[in-house]
Formats: sequence, structure tokens, C-alpha cells
Amino acid sequence: MLVHLQGAWTPWLGRLTLSQIPYNSPIVLGAFVFALLMAVPIVALFTYYRRWGYLIREWITTLDHKKIGVMYIIIGLVMLLRGFIDGVMIRTQQLLADGPRSAAHLQAVHGYLPPFHFDQIYSSHGTIMIIFAVTVVLTGFQNIIVPLQIGARDMAFPYLNAVSLWLTAAGAALVMISLFVGDFSHAGWVGIIPLTELPYSPGVGVDYWDWALQLSSLGTTLGALNLITTIVMMRAPGMRWFRMPFFTWATLSTQTIGLTAFPVLGVALALLSCDRYLGTHFYTAGLGGNLMLYTDLFWIWGHPEVYFIILPAWGIMSEVIPTFSEKALFGYTVMVAATLSIAGLSWAVWLHHFFTMGAGPGVNLVFSVSTMLVGIPTGVKVFNWSLTLYRGRLRFETPMLWAIGALFLLLVGGLTGMMLAIPAINYTVHNSVFVVAHFHTMFLVSVFGIFAGLMYWFPKVFGFRLDEHSGRRFFTFFSLGTVFVFAAMYILGLMGMTRRLDYLYDPHWQPLLIIQEFGIFLYCVSVFYFCKMIYVSIRDRAKEAHGQDVWQTSRTLEWMTQTPVPFYNFAVIPVVHGRDAWAMRRDSGLTATSPDQYEDIHLPNNTIVPALLGGLAFGFGFGMVWRIWWLAGFSLLGIIGLVILRSFADDKGFTLKAAMVRRMERNHEDTGIMTDHISPPVAELMLFQ
Amino acid sequence: MRADIIAAVNQGIIAIVQLRHRADFMRRRCGWLRLSPLALLASLSGCSGHQLRLLHPDGPIAATSLRLSVIDVLIMLCIILPTGIFVAISLWRFRAARKARYDPGFTHSVRLEVLMWGVPFAAVATLAYFSWRGVFLVNPYAPTALGQRKSLLAMPDRPGKANPLVIDVVATDWQWLFIYPDQHIAILNALRLPAGRNIEFRLTATDVVNDFYIPQLIGMIDVMPGMRTKDMMRADRPGVWQGFSADISGAGFSWMQFPTRVMTQAGFAAWVAKTQAVPTHLDYARFRSMARPTIDLGNVTQVFSAVQPHLFSRIVHAAMNGVTYTTPMFLTEHMRRDLARRVPYLSGYPHS
Repeated sequence: MLVHLQGAWTPWLGRLTLSQIPYNSPIVLGAFVFALLMAVPIVALFTYYRRWGYLIREWITTLDHKKIGVMYIIIGLVMLLRGFIDGVMIRTQQLLADGPRSAAHLQAVHGYLPPFHFDQIYSSHGTIMIIFAVTVVLTGFQNIIVPLQIGARDMAFPYLNAVSLWLTAAGAALVMISLFVGDFSHAGWVGIIPLTELPYSPGVGVDYWDWALQLSSLGTTLGALNLITTIVMMRAPGMRWFRMPFFTWATLSTQTIGLTAFPVLGVALALLSCDRYLGTHFYTAGLGGNLMLYTDLFWIWGHPEVYFIILPAWGIMSEVIPTFSEKALFGYTVMVAATLSIAGLSWAVWLHHFFTMGAGPGVNLVFSVSTMLVGIPTGVKVFNWSLTLYRGRLRFETPMLWAIGALFLLLVGGLTGMMLAIPAINYTVHNSVFVVAHFHTMFLVSVFGIFAGLMYWFPKVFGFRLDEHSGRRFFTFFSLGTVFVFAAMYILGLMGMTRRLDYLYDPHWQPLLIIQEFGIFLYCVSVFYFCKMIYVSIRDRAKEAHGQDVWQTSRTLEWMTQTPVPFYNFAVIPVVHGRDAWAMRRDSGLTATSPDQYEDIHLPNNTIVPALLGGLAFGFGFGMVWRIWWLAGFSLLGIIGLVILRSFADDKGFTLKAAMVRRMERNHEDTGIMTDHISPPVAELMLFQ
Repeated sequence: MRADIIAAVNQGIIAIVQLRHRADFMRRRCGWLRLSPLALLASLSGCSGHQLRLLHPDGPIAATSLRLSVIDVLIMLCIILPTGIFVAISLWRFRAARKARYDPGFTHSVRLEVLMWGVPFAAVATLAYFSWRGVFLVNPYAPTALGQRKSLLAMPDRPGKANPLVIDVVATDWQWLFIYPDQHIAILNALRLPAGRNIEFRLTATDVVNDFYIPQLIGMIDVMPGMRTKDMMRADRPGVWQGFSADISGAGFSWMQFPTRVMTQAGFAAWVAKTQAVPTHLDYARFRSMARPTIDLGNVTQVFSAVQPHLFSRIVHAAMNGVTYTTPMFLTEHMRRDLARRVPYLSGYPHS
């Protein structure tokens, strides 16, 4: 061992002992029961209906970008729920632990959570919401929609796409298992340095956070590579750069950020791992280390990551608003320019996350101005959306409601963001809940965008609409919850309340904390309506079934495919003659999609290898967290061996004959459903036949 | 025409300067805040105006931040309010049921596009000017706001550094030690300041990063191990304010508070004299035993006399040379299980 570890270590189990399972904590036990209640019915249903084989053949092994996207979104939504529950616990603790006279429950000094437990909860809240919920759901949308929008059959690298998914899933699994085995990090989602160093975080929590982020960041980097290549190389004939749908532009900007920023996170975390595992001094305060190096590296990734999250949401808004305004996006070229300039500027502003580090006026001023510059293209976007509404024919269906909500939130977030960009103001609110309220406003722009996208594209992917009635209730309660929680939080910030407090010293904050808790209650109601919406929609799916173009006024190429989209996307790759290709065809009465001649379609076979790689990556992460060297070593060797083995696989892929395509398409047009259920076989299963 | 523009610009400048004076005036009166919707909301919820700490500064540094916030918000509202109103009106006017004028061809306008880049650009340019003024006004190393008050539109003047009281701030896990090096005294978990005199803080930490913050008096500044940051301030009047750490530093973070008592100059001198006579001395060895991880649940304060000279530099250099105070696992991971064992590490724990 190169470092001094507190506690026991054995060769077979590393630091893992039975006492690491916090069965004696009623809260963790409750979480475990909740997880069981969620998992058992799902497992039971799959077993009862004998769908495990289907799950493996059609989903786990799939290379279809739409199914991969759906799995991304499911993982993201599950993590969103987990992050939300964390948020509820944070708010409740602060409500209960306000003032020196506040009562103590369970084993806490004030409130019901001891400091270390509370610290874990806000750390996992941030990590989950940013890395495993919002990022993952948005990646899912980009996976599903971009190849459809540019008229491609699949991503450029379908196999790599599945690897990205399963690496992300492995990271998410590490975060989830930290709830029941050991602890999670207590140093915030940013991993405040040197708090994350071994002397101050002696347990496994920081390691969980470290490896979960490391795995998912690897997945995101590979995903970025894939999406960029897809957009550059796989566009349908005639799809010139300035004919691309706006969401595709947003994705291109986003993934350029992703490809360049995520490796920085990888390096920052790798050096931290060196400190924690090998006893180096990259980030320590003493012995030549430099803790600001970590802070710089983290935010050099962290700020672009903010735009990695917000740009796709703006892309979704730019699809939804024109559709429900029955008008093309105002100032398309200007919008593209604004998006690209935001992506560029995202690299030049990272220092505003630590204006208070004691830098001189010159340094702070440069980053203050560069931060404010971001406001210019952002303002341009807002103006363009408003002018898209102007002289449109507006229909307020649920996707539009979410998009409008996001627009108003963006105005509030812009106002407070401009305050924070000025160092003289920032000094007074830097670590206060005012900042927390600001960045939640911005992330909620993204979340509103996500729900807009979910309502908008759900019928395309699944063939039926989401229930409008409960969807509206969901929107109403979610928006009201947002207003109550974050209006109160802004005021609390002005009252001097700072972040991450397990115990609040000022009893005067109580009324606003109660208002926040009421907002949280409204959020809970909205979660109920979300579940109801999903349930009712699935129950009434036959009634709500729709053809290829649900909204009748959509503009881009994804609406040209059959609904639900067949696994080969387009029977024949369309030729594009202008911007908003589908709207053009509709306006000219050219919506008939059955061509004169069909051709063979070639697609890759399904394969289990990506899922195995994900499993091994999880094993590697788990081994490293608990310092079970044999497990980490074998997993790593397994990954390398599997990658080499796969590179020798003689897999020619799957060819769908033209006659079959014709039959499927014609059948689909007649009946509106896919009667022939065909998808590529699993390559590994073919070896045994 | 030109004369009109010049007159308008002059009017604007006068308005901003007047605003500043009005803000000063109203800040003293405190009454105006009750009229603002924000404060109305707060008062509805049972808060008195003074709980809005950031809107009631009691020193020139915090007052400057507030003034800049007001200017910033006003400039931004000039853009955001009309945009919001425009969106709201469009939503109402162009809803499909109303059958208003529908013009799907209205998707591009060079004139509007110039405007939509130009207006935010102008706003950012204006705000950049105020940001530039601001970074000098509250520059932690030499804030010009402590100097002679000038108009916000004037060039930065020289920093007011006349005869500051130097205080060395040391953040341990998880307590605050304030050393008055010239007076050779120190106080733990509380801060005493004279009113009306410039204070210069030199800050460092033994272990992890914290943020030093007294909302009504001074903005946040990072307190970092092995490094020395500085900050300056002045308090306008005697009183008691709450200071605390604003950056997560571990289990004891929430209790890292130091009541800040600002005294009259005479009262402060008397306190210094009294403290210089206390029998408890502070040298590096005692500091080391004090700096082991301690959760200050009861805000236990202590005063020291005859503080070892250059104690602050010694602490900075120790951190640079790798001295750390390891957090035992029963203050982190095992906190739940070993509740009984952590009691010796809690100061003022009610059950101990």
C-alpha cells in the first residue's frame, strides 16, 4: 500500500466488510425497501410474461440508435427521480434544522440527518442531477433524433454507441450501489479540493464519486465522437450544412464541447486518483501540490459541461416552438451563429466559478467580461424565439407549454446570471443559496426542455401520444413548485443563507423554508401526475395511436418516417431539397413516402459485447473503490481481452431484402402498425447455431 | 438633434448619480425596502427587513456590492422586462383560436437581427464598465471603496489603506482563530473589531478550503491551506453580526461560525488591554493541539494573550511542508455508528 488507510484491508475483500452495509440506518433501510418495491414488480412481470429473452435479444444487445436512446432516457429518468428524492431530503433537513432550538431526530444533532450523511445527500443530488440525469436524458434525445433528422439509417458507429450507453450505465450503477454498500462522497458534486484528499475523506465515498464520473465521462466522450461523425458524414443527399434542422446544429455544438471538455475531467480525476491511491501530491496543499490546479481543471470541464446541458435543451425549444407556432424558426442563420458562439465562449469563462479565490482585479475582470459576452448570443436566441411566436398560429399543447416555461425561466436565469458575472456582486453571493437558485433556474430551463422533448417526440418513438390531461397537470404543478422553491431560495440568498448547511443558525429563515417545502410538495404532486400520465397513456395507447406526423405542423425529417420508427429508419434514404424538409414536402403535397423501388438494407447484427464491457467496467470501478485489486485487475484484463476478441469477429452484419422492406412498409401503411416484427439477430447467438 | 442626445445622456448620468445618493439615503432610512415586492414577500412570510442582510450593508464594501447589484438589475430589466412583456403579449395575441394575423413568411429581418445583437451588446458594454469599476472598488487586496467616496462614474481612486488594523485569520477543521499580531492576542471562534477603522485580514487554513464571510460587512474570500489571501473592510457602526464559513469543509462546517462584535474604538482598546492580561498564552504547540478536528457545536470562544510572534507564517509554512490534521473516520464515514466516541471531538456538545 502506498498510502495510509484508516480501517481494515484484506486481500480478498479489500476494504469491504459486512459493517459497511448501513443496515442500522433507518433512512438507508427505507431507501432499500423503496428500491425493492420498485424492482420486484418489474422483475416479477418480466419473469411471469417470460420476457427476459426478449429483453436481451431486443434491448440489451441492440445497436439500434433509437433503442439505445430510449434506454439512455429511462436511465436518466430513474436517476432524475433518485436525485429528486435527494433534493426533498436536503430541503427537509434544512427546514428541521433551522435555529439553535431545532429538535434532533434519529442520530442527528439538529434535524434528522447527521452532517456526514447530509453531505453525502447533497453531493449525490448534484452528481446525479447533472451527470446522470440531465446529461443522460439529453444524450438519449440526441441519439434518437439526430440520425432521423439528417436522414441516416443509424449512427456512424452503432457498436461504439452501445459501448457509450453501457459505460454510462456502469457509472450510474456505481452511484446507486453506493447507497447500500459503503458511502458516497461528502465533498459536493464538484469534489471540493483538498477535502477529497485521503486525509480528509478517509472512506470510499470520494472513490465512488471519482470512478462513477470517470466511467460516465468516458462514455460521454465516445458518444460525442460518434454524434459528431454522424452529423458530418451521414447526412442524406442534399442535406447541406445550412439545411440541417436546428436541433442537429445544437447537437453538433454540444458534442464538440463534449469531445473537447470531457477528457479534461478524465485527467483531473485521474490525477486525484493518483493522490488517493498512489500517494502523489498533485492537489495537496503541501509538498509541492497545488490545489488550485484541480479547481482550474475541474471548471475547465465544468463550465463547458453547463452548455453541454443547456444547448440541446435550447435545440429542443427551437424545434417545439416553430412546430406549435406553425412557422419556421425566426433567424435560423443567426441562431446557428449564436449557438456556435456560445459553444466557443463556453471555454473562456471557467474562472467565474471561483472569483473569490483571491485573484487580482485584472484576472477577475477578464473573466467577468467574457462571462457577460455569453449573454449576447443568449439574448439573440431569446429574441429569435419570441419573434418566432410573433404572427404565428400558436397551439398550446403540452410540449409548447414546457418550451414557453423554459423561455420565461431563461429570462430570470439571465437576470441573475448577469449579476453573478460581476465580481463585486459575486463576492457577496458566491457560495450563497442565491447562486444555487440561479443555477437551478438554468438547469430547470434544461429540464423544461427535456419534458418538452419528451412530450414532443414520444409519439414518434412509441406510436401513441402521451395523455394530454395529466400532462397539463404535470406541467402546472411542476411550474408552481419551481416558483415556490426557487423564489424563496433567491430571497434566502439575499438573507445571507449559504450552501450545503446541515444546520442553519438563523431561525428567521423558517418561513421561507416552509414556503420551499410547500414547493417541494407541489413537485411531489407533479411526480404523481407524471406517473399517471405514463400509466394512462400506455393504457389508452390504442386510442391515442397516431400516424407518422402527430402534430401536423412539424417541420423536420424525423416526422417523415413511419411511426413507430422501423429499425432501419427510412425505407429509402430521402433526398433533401431545402431547410425544414418535411414542412416543404407537406406544403407541396409530397408526403407520400412509398417509393417506386425498394433496395436491400444493410445493418449491423446485435451484440452482447457492449453490455459485457459495461459489466466489466462496473466490476473494475467497484474493485477500485474498495481496493479489491484482483477484481479490478481481472475486470480490466477482461475489458482489454474482449475488445481484442471482438476485433477479430467475422460479423458481416444483417441484410434486409428489398422485398421484405416493401412488405413491411406497405403493411405499415395499410394497417398503421408494424405487423412483421423483425430485428437483427444477436451475433454471438449465431456462433452457436 | 445632437444637443438633444447630449442632454439625454446628461440626464441619464444625473439620474444614476441621484440614484446612488437616494440609495444611500434610503439605506439609512431602511423604509423603502418594505415597499419593494421582494421585501413585501419577505415581510408577508414574517421576516423583518433587516433579515435581508445583503440589502442592509453596514460597511463600505458590502454597500458597494449592493449599489452595483441595483445598477445591474436596473440595466438588465431594461431588456428583460420588455422581452417578457413582448413574449406574453405574443402568446395572447397569436393564439390559434384568436385568428390574428398569421404570417408564416416572417422568419427573417436584417433590421431586427442587427437590433437583437446590438441591444445586448450595448447592455454588456455598459455592465462591463461597472464590472471594471467594481473589481477595483472591492478588490480584496486594496479596495478603493474604503478611500474617499467618489461618484461611481469617476475613475478608480487610490486605495484607502491608512493605518489598517491587521488581523490574521486561521481556519482549522472546524474552528476559526483570529490573531491580532500587533496586539499579541488571539480569540477563538469570535471576532472583535473597532468601528470606523480599516481592517486588513490575512487568511490561511490548516487543512481544507473555507470561505470567510460576514454578509453585512465583507464579501466572501477563500481561505486556503498553504496559501495566504487578503481582504479589507471597515464597519460603519458598533453592533454584532454573524460571520461564518461559506464553503463546505467537512462534518463541522455548519457550526463554523464566529459572532463578529464591532465595538467603539475606546471599547476595542479596553478589550485589547483586558485580553492582554489573560493568563492563557498561545504558542505553536498549543495551536497544534487546538487545530485537531473539532466540531464547534456550542460556539465555545476563548481568548489568548502573548501569542507567539509570526505564528501565522509558521502555520502557512507548516501546511506547505505537508503538515495535515487527518480527519478520523468516526467523524466521517462512521459518524452514525460511533456517536459516543465522537463526543471528545465536540466542543459544547449538549450531552457531554
